[in-house]
Amino acid sequence: MKPAAFEHLRPDTADAVAGLLSPEAKVIAGGQSLGPMLNLRLARPARLVGLGAVASLRDIREENGMIVLGAAVSHARIEDGDSPVALPPMLRHVARGIAYRAVRNRGTIGGSLAHADPAADWIAALTALGAQIVLRSAAGTDRRVAMPGFVQGAYRTALGPDEIIAAVEVPAAMRDALWGYDKLCRKVGEFADAIGAVALHPASGHVRLVSGATGAGPLVLAEAGADLARSARHPGSPALRDALAAALPGTDPVKLRLLATALSRAIAKVLPA
Amino acid sequence: MNALSPAADAGTPTPPRAIPVRLTVNGAPAEVLVPPRTQLAEILRDRLDLTATHLACEQGVCGACTVMVDGRPVRSCLTFAADCDGAEVETLEGWQGDALMEKLRAAFARNHALQCGFCTPGMLATARDLVARLDSDDETRIRNELSGNLCRCTGYVGIVAAIREVISERDAAGIAPSGRALPALHAAAGFAPFEPAAAPAMAEAAAAPAGETTVEDGWSVVRRHVAVAHPPSAVWAHFADLPSVVRCLPGAELAETDGTRFAGHVAVRFGPITARFEGEGRFETDAAARSGSVRGTGKDRGGQSNVTGGLDFAVAQGASPEASDVDVALRFRIEGRLGQFNRPELVSGLVDHLLGEFVQNCNAVLDGGTVRDSGGLSVWSLLRALAGGLFRRR
Repeated sequence: MKPAAFEHLRPDTADAVAGLLSPEAKVIAGGQSLGPMLNLRLARPARLVGLGAVASLRDIREENGMIVLGAAVSHARIEDGDSPVALPPMLRHVARGIAYRAVRNRGTIGGSLAHADPAADWIAALTALGAQIVLRSAAGTDRRVAMPGFVQGAYRTALGPDEIIAAVEVPAAMRDALWGYDKLCRKVGEFADAIGAVALHPASGHVRLVSGATGAGPLVLAEAGADLARSARHPGSPALRDALAAALPGTDPVKLRLLATALSRAIAKVLPA
Repeated sequence: MNALSPAADAGTPTPPRAIPVRLTVNGAPAEVLVPPRTQLAEILRDRLDLTATHLACEQGVCGACTVMVDGRPVRSCLTFAADCDGAEVETLEGWQGDALMEKLRAAFARNHALQCGFCTPGMLATARDLVARLDSDDETRIRNELSGNLCRCTGYVGIVAAIREVISERDAAGIAPSGRALPALHAAAGFAPFEPAAAPAMAEAAAAPAGETTVEDGWSVVRRHVAVAHPPSAVWAHFADLPSVVRCLPGAELAETDGTRFAGHVAVRFGPITARFEGEGRFETDAAARSGSVRGTGKDRGGQSNVTGGLDFAVAQGASPEASDVDVALRFRIEGRLGQFNRPELVSGLVDHLLGEFVQNCNAVLDGGTVRDSGGLSVWSLLRALAGGLFRRR
């Protein structure tokens, strides 16, 4: 099965990529989410604009207290720590759990964010780590959007019609974060049914408790997170389920239980239950 | 547009030109001229006659098409022609003189690690990566890493055994693994309580409308309870008129209706997905109960998907005389490619998004304004002007 016909452009600067956007065009980075949709003809763009020739989007560096990962950095490079600057351990462990190695070799952190599949790993993990996304417009200007505001719902993001993701910035302090991450999948490597993510950095007061794979964007449990920091005690699965039920009214009880279990297991990696 | 081009006259776009792709396959240079949509697997199989690489799911799940590109296993079904230019590709036909692959082939034979052989080319590509990369022959790790290659006959016992044997042989030969270990995980040690920093102001995610999404007898059912800031009589007048309802549904257009039966289409854009469902159905209302229903079927030709479903709605008095509560229940079943894709979140996210836009538009119309960017607006105005009162229900 072939996709519907498309032309495939591969400009060599990020500004040029943004300049080629139109309603008929789709940006393709690693193509590990868009590729299946093209092959199934669920997506039928007339033009693909590839990031493959933009070397600067594969840079990883550190500046102003931020670890800056180019949008086209692959999951496998993060898993391997193939970077001139040390990466937060949470990023490396989360990367290992994404799909399969053959997918991680091509799939990219920026592509996953732009696709904004509700069950994806990065949107939840980067929300917990307090990351911000750098968006580049065709005019070459940058703006920054913090997670979780970047993801507005299933497959919907803050990206404007002439913007691409240029980079992801993670506070360098997150190298020392206490963190837990857990996901429940029917099969290893499949999309998650539930994700729990927590990152704490007591020295800077950072705490983020995040429930992922809710069906919409990642859910930040602000109150439960603050309680966690102040009490330093595992709240227990029933309390987490109550917090989730309050934040996600109408959610199926089985789904709620899965989400609470993933959160509880994530917290248990920091605090004994 | 070139006026001499018949394709331009017919309004059909000319297919993009074939592009040259130069690559090295199993050590030999190759050049092909292919349309941009050609997958690497098709270049290998159809242009270079290297048919060991198999295609099955073509959505990155089964692993049958896995080949090495620049020393790393990748899905050749998800790699398009332009991204292959300059690539070094190794397929099962290659690997001549590769010590690890020779050991793997012997170990697969010894352990009966294949039966029908369909998955084997992809299994060996993945296995070649594992025996070079993994730092131990830990069975759990190997099984996790093999989750991206499906075998449906002989099973994984022999495959896992073969990979473990070759890792042991590699270690015995003193060859170091190429992979880098992850940072060690520490046991949960707790922390001293601390005062959280004030959370940065962040936009609250738009609250989903109250309601629920369930699956009943294979049908997806989305129920939503929506508060509308207008009295029930006004809301009912709006909902009882099919054209006004359609006008508020983003991307929907009525082609024809006699007030009960209708035909039309809904163009859907959601993330990377585009679909245009053409269909027909019936619209019925019960003015006494202020309730109604839409039943219909639609077909998306481009994506080869079908949708069958119905929408029930009821308008009731809201919290004040000037407010209404609208109950909406959407019941649908999607078949074909969109269904095969099997991502329920995708469908419920889409429905939520459409319902959200729909409610916003209904509110705008009831406020006396007009619908924002409805693609159907101009056509609707035209139809309305032509057909006059025909569309209005008595």
